[in-house]
Amino acid sequence: MSYSTTDQAKHVSVFRTLPVHLAIFAGLILLWEIVNLYGFEDRIQADMIAPRPTHIVLAMIDIFFIDKTVWHHLGSTFQKALLGASIGTVIGMGLAISATLSETFRKYIKPWIILMEATPRIAVGPIFVALLGFGLWSAVALAALVAFFGPFVNTFQGLMEIDEESEEMFRSLGASKFQTFWKLRFASALQLISAGWKLATASAFGGALVAEFIQASEGMGVLIAQYVIMITMDYAFAALLSVTIFGYILFKIMEYMDYHLIFWQNDLLMLKVSEKRRKKMGVSS
Amino acid sequence: MKSLNLLISFAKYALSFVIAIGLWEAYARFGGLNELFLPRPSKIGAKLYNMFFETGMIYWHFYVTMAQMAIGFTYGIIIGNTLAVLAAFNESFRRYIAPYAVVFNVTPGIAVLPLIIAWFGFGWESKIALATLVCFFPPFINTLTGLLKKDDAAVELFQTLGASKYQFFWKQQLPNALPEIFAGLKLAITTALLGTIVAQFGSATEGVGILMQRFAFSLDMAGSFASLVTMALMGLMVFTIAEVMDRRIVFWRDAKGLERVSKKRSKKIA
Repeated sequence: MSYSTTDQAKHVSVFRTLPVHLAIFAGLILLWEIVNLYGFEDRIQADMIAPRPTHIVLAMIDIFFIDKTVWHHLGSTFQKALLGASIGTVIGMGLAISATLSETFRKYIKPWIILMEATPRIAVGPIFVALLGFGLWSAVALAALVAFFGPFVNTFQGLMEIDEESEEMFRSLGASKFQTFWKLRFASALQLISAGWKLATASAFGGALVAEFIQASEGMGVLIAQYVIMITMDYAFAALLSVTIFGYILFKIMEYMDYHLIFWQNDLLMLKVSEKRRKKMGVSS
Repeated sequence: MKSLNLLISFAKYALSFVIAIGLWEAYARFGGLNELFLPRPSKIGAKLYNMFFETGMIYWHFYVTMAQMAIGFTYGIIIGNTLAVLAAFNESFRRYIAPYAVVFNVTPGIAVLPLIIAWFGFGWESKIALATLVCFFPPFINTLTGLLKKDDAAVELFQTLGASKYQFFWKQQLPNALPEIFAGLKLAITTALLGTIVAQFGSATEGVGILMQRFAFSLDMAGSFASLVTMALMGLMVFTIAEVMDRRIVFWRDAKGLERVSKKRSKKIA
């Protein structure tokens, strides 16, 4: 007798699942289209609640290739979010590293960190907008504020959890403090740290968008809000989808970087890298 | 002895807090800070006192925000957990919703706010909807990971003891997944609060979010900082509730809780 939640069928090939995926997707889209066409009494209401997928696609083509409005706004939002994420990551990791190195510092920032964690940090939005104006920097500041927490927590956790046996080995080999930190603590924490970066990027987008909703002249938040106010919901959906698409691309790039940066997570890749290093050493000696 | 140590460490925290606030106040008094940027703590305190005890106007906004958050959170965990249970027990369902979950994960839920306002209007519904939308994902992912986590030895034990599927679920799978489930709930409750407040920024007539925005845009910085403190208070409240529930229900997480409950149970049996 077997209980459920087994993963026996894990090795189903892509060629068998892909058609089903596509069929489900097509079915959903078709259903949506039909609901829009026949499910409502009022045309305006239908386009307001569920704009037709074909219209959304047309709107996407329009904003990407014909009118080309979306690029400018996408660039603006990405600039704010990525700047904010970078600043937040530097601050968060800096704090985490200082907290791991100094026990007193760790003790005294702890209550502040708990307070920061519980406060909905995005709520500072209106204050930042009032202080820093409607432009780029209020959004960057908000993005940085919401982004710093993920890298902080992950870096801290990663650096504090070390393998004691490895530490003993480092000590017995007479490694310096710097070496122990860099080659042991940091290296073993890197996986968690990179997860923190991903968290930071995702939350920075939230921060940038909220700042744009509150007050801005450009950016995806503004664009979506504009389309909604003009009741062109197909365009609003298209703008939303473009955030998704580019967010996905960014996410994939980060995953790829991760994979190569933390090469020791994957046996095959590790073999390759060690081979390369061995060759290098062989040539030089 | 232990309680004394606790008291001392608490006193240290309080002291560091007081010193930080005191420095801020002193710096502001001597004109180092532009009052328009960062109001001095005493002014924020006075405003808080005014809002909570003199006029009492904050309570209504407090209640509205908390109620919207609670409803959104409830919907969110129902949807998230239902989807997770379905996905955990049905292999093909899990496979075919995976791409949609990825799409959902990379779209910032907050970006949907204008659409939600267009659909649900300016009232409570739009805040509840946004709170639900942003908070359902962590419970979904966490519950799913928790239910899929397998303890081979435990599975074998249940099999040899001839446990029914029903027993296996209630006595092994669910308790095994509970730590993850609660971690998801804790994440969800703070994101639900966040979603509610952001939706209030978008458009609202009541709630702490709109209160703060009004203060900020009329450049009453003491007022907006006071509402920020109120939000922090709300966050601490919901976080503490989640934390206490977590400790009570997932008592086997730490040794002390385990000892407490097993003592109680052994007494009952005896």
